Amino acid sequence: MDASRLVVYASVALMVALTVLSGPVVGAVDLTTPVVHGAVGEGNVTVESVEAPATARIDRGLQSESYYLKVPDTRVRASSITGKPVVSYRIEIPGLNYTRSTAHFLDSDDAGVVAFSIAEDTLGSDRVDAERYGGRIRLVVRGTTEWVVYEGTVTVEVTE
Amino acid sequence: MRLAAGRRWEPTRRRLAAARALLVRVFFGSGHGVALFLGTLAFAGLYWRVGVFINDTYTLANAFVSLAEGYLHVDEAVYGPGLDTPGMVVSEGQVYGRNYGQLVVSLPFLWAMEAAGTVADPGLVLPLAWGLVAVALGATSGRLVGRATAGRAVGAVCGLAVFLASAAVARPLDPVLFPVVALQAATLVATALAATTLYRLLARPYGDAVGTAAGVLAVTATPMGFWATIPKRHAFTVALVLGVCYALYRSREPADPEALLPPVGFRALAYGLVGLMTWLHGGEAFVVFLALVVVDVPTAPSNDVRSLAVLAGVFCLSLVPFLVTNTLIAGDPLQPPRMLPDYGGVVGESGSGAGGEAGGSGEGSGSFVTAVFPPAVATTLLAVSDRVGTLLHPFRLGLWVVADKPDALLSTFVRSGYSDRLVGENLKQAINLSVAEAGPLVGGVVAGVAVLTRRAQRVDGREAVREFRSRLDAAGPARTTDAFAAVCGLLFVLVYLPRLPVHAQVTARYLLVLYPLALYGLVRLGPLRRVLADHWQTGLWTWAGGVFVGGQLFVVAVAAGSLGRGSAFQLHALAGLGAAALFAVLASASVLTDRADRATALAAGLAAALGTNLVVLSGLVYFQYGPYALPAAGAVADLLSAV
Repeated sequence: MDASRLVVYASVALMVALTVLSGPVVGAVDLTTPVVHGAVGEGNVTVESVEAPATARIDRGLQSESYYLKVPDTRVRASSITGKPVVSYRIEIPGLNYTRSTAHFLDSDDAGVVAFSIAEDTLGSDRVDAERYGGRIRLVVRGTTEWVVYEGTVTVEVTE
Repeated sequence: MRLAAGRRWEPTRRRLAAARALLVRVFFGSGHGVALFLGTLAFAGLYWRVGVFINDTYTLANAFVSLAEGYLHVDEAVYGPGLDTPGMVVSEGQVYGRNYGQLVVSLPFLWAMEAAGTVADPGLVLPLAWGLVAVALGATSGRLVGRATAGRAVGAVCGLAVFLASAAVARPLDPVLFPVVALQAATLVATALAATTLYRLLARPYGDAVGTAAGVLAVTATPMGFWATIPKRHAFTVALVLGVCYALYRSREPADPEALLPPVGFRALAYGLVGLMTWLHGGEAFVVFLALVVVDVPTAPSNDVRSLAVLAGVFCLSLVPFLVTNTLIAGDPLQPPRMLPDYGGVVGESGSGAGGEAGGSGEGSGSFVTAVFPPAVATTLLAVSDRVGTLLHPFRLGLWVVADKPDALLSTFVRSGYSDRLVGENLKQAINLSVAEAGPLVGGVVAGVAVLTRRAQRVDGREAVREFRSRLDAAGPARTTDAFAAVCGLLFVLVYLPRLPVHAQVTARYLLVLYPLALYGLVRLGPLRRVLADHWQTGLWTWAGGVFVGGQLFVVAVAAGSLGRGSAFQLHALAGLGAAALFAVLASASVLTDRADRATALAAGLAAALGTNLVVLSGLVYFQYGPYALPAAGAVADLLSAV
């Protein structure tokens, strides 16, 4: 038997063996462990400084009559994180009747500067009719206790 | 002792080898076909996302779960928002799905998945399947290029590496998703068989290399790759239409005692495939049936009673599953689920097109018929003409659109852009590309017009008609297939044009069958075959450069401009349209002179690369609607979207 056949048999055997070993019958190892969400929302974080954006942008899309809302990150200097607190980052634009928030999970590895982001969103051209809108940004920690880290206004500029 | 045991197993082994050889012959044609089949599975497996892309997949998935439990009607929505998803229909108070042919074909995949799930870790079953496909692909293609040892080693190492990388980042796969996986797997296999059939069709006249090239391009450089793991009817439609092409081709070849079927058998197979297609989508099957009859009957070597009886017998037999399903659901064998009222008032994608067509011929001819014929005959005649009128109505509507609203044609085939009519459905995104934008290689079809004009210049009218007649009489396998492909493609366009442009098409998916038919047409053009034969290296390198460099440029451009999905798609659209136009011009030039050949190969490589970029980046970046079948690919996708 030549070496290449041996490689084939060995790799097939290894793949099948691992799949079965991790399967429900044998269960010797579990290779497909779910992400541990244990105790999410418990704990706390000490915030030393917050650097939130003063402006956000609504840009017109390329060759498509839609607009993209882009909100810059908010940076937080965090220290002494205990447990797994959740931070929600939220933007509200009353003129567009729009709110969007994202949740970020922190754990003790995240101490230092942490950036919180809001993913870009698409708005229809029929909704955007002013040149700028006023908005509010809120950063809230939901841990063992719930408290507002930051709350401020943001100007949303529309660029064609 | 060992010898004796070996001898005892010898007959079994020989029988197994014979069965394997037969299987390969029936489904793949040759080793090249097997390699292409496995290669398609491996390629589309890289960006296979387990989940639901379009909401009418909920309809199929929920109907499939019921079917697997032994019921045709659907009681409970296992997936999605509820039972009122597009395409759910009602008959006698019960709710039903559609595309039952597709669902039945997917059942074995579900059983395999469930069986594997009892002993294996469900989250690793798909990586294992991919690894095994990679091992087999390496061994098969190594043998084909005369490097069996290297092929085996490379395949095994790649398969194992991807499997281990996937195992390292794997997550559990919820058994609730098994039916979705099964539907997707069946669709993937249909796509792979379609690619293999395109190879077989073109390998017969032009050899394995040309056939393989066409098959590879169909999957990697046209939206066939995009829809490969999206469980809709389109992949099956493509596979069946190509199957009809192939059967028709074989039916015109001289009788070969080695062949598995005599020519008339292949002719019957063509009709049988059309019959099976009714089980998937009656309307599309009728389109293909019409194209087949129009081309096959006048060009057949003989239409004697015996062959017609064989055709009719096979066709009727192939209609049985369709008729039985309809009877069980609607109580009427000729009323498929798509003709039943929608559940919950959601208009499915099969909803009727825009009305307002030129008036029918009903009343006038009706009074004539009742005046001339006795009542019994007249009633039958009217009923038949009514049925025929209903059946032909979509084509008339299509012609009317071509004449009256050429911009629909333009936005379907050339430039899509933004459409006010569709935005509500697409979250304001301009993601519906035209045929040329999504599969720029299609642009080369323009060269066909150049070939025809050139030929027309050489002969005057009367001679051309005589020549056409003599050609028709002695139509070889390829010319017959050409005619079928052209008529079939045209009828698909006419039928769907009144509804296009419509939302959630992404790549003009109703017309998906046009992409492989266009590739067939390109290979059938002598000048383009010359380009492929002389300058395939130029084309291949341009393609590779376009995919590896161009693909990165797309990722960077989309990230740098923080383009949304709509804008990113329009970027692909404009680049694709440019490449399609360049290829169209140069391919036409190659018809006139061989001095343009190198440039044509370059343009073809570019057009193919832009098609591939769209398929791969859609799969890895733009549309992420579920966990990746290969967790390792999911990790790469996360990395790309983090750029």
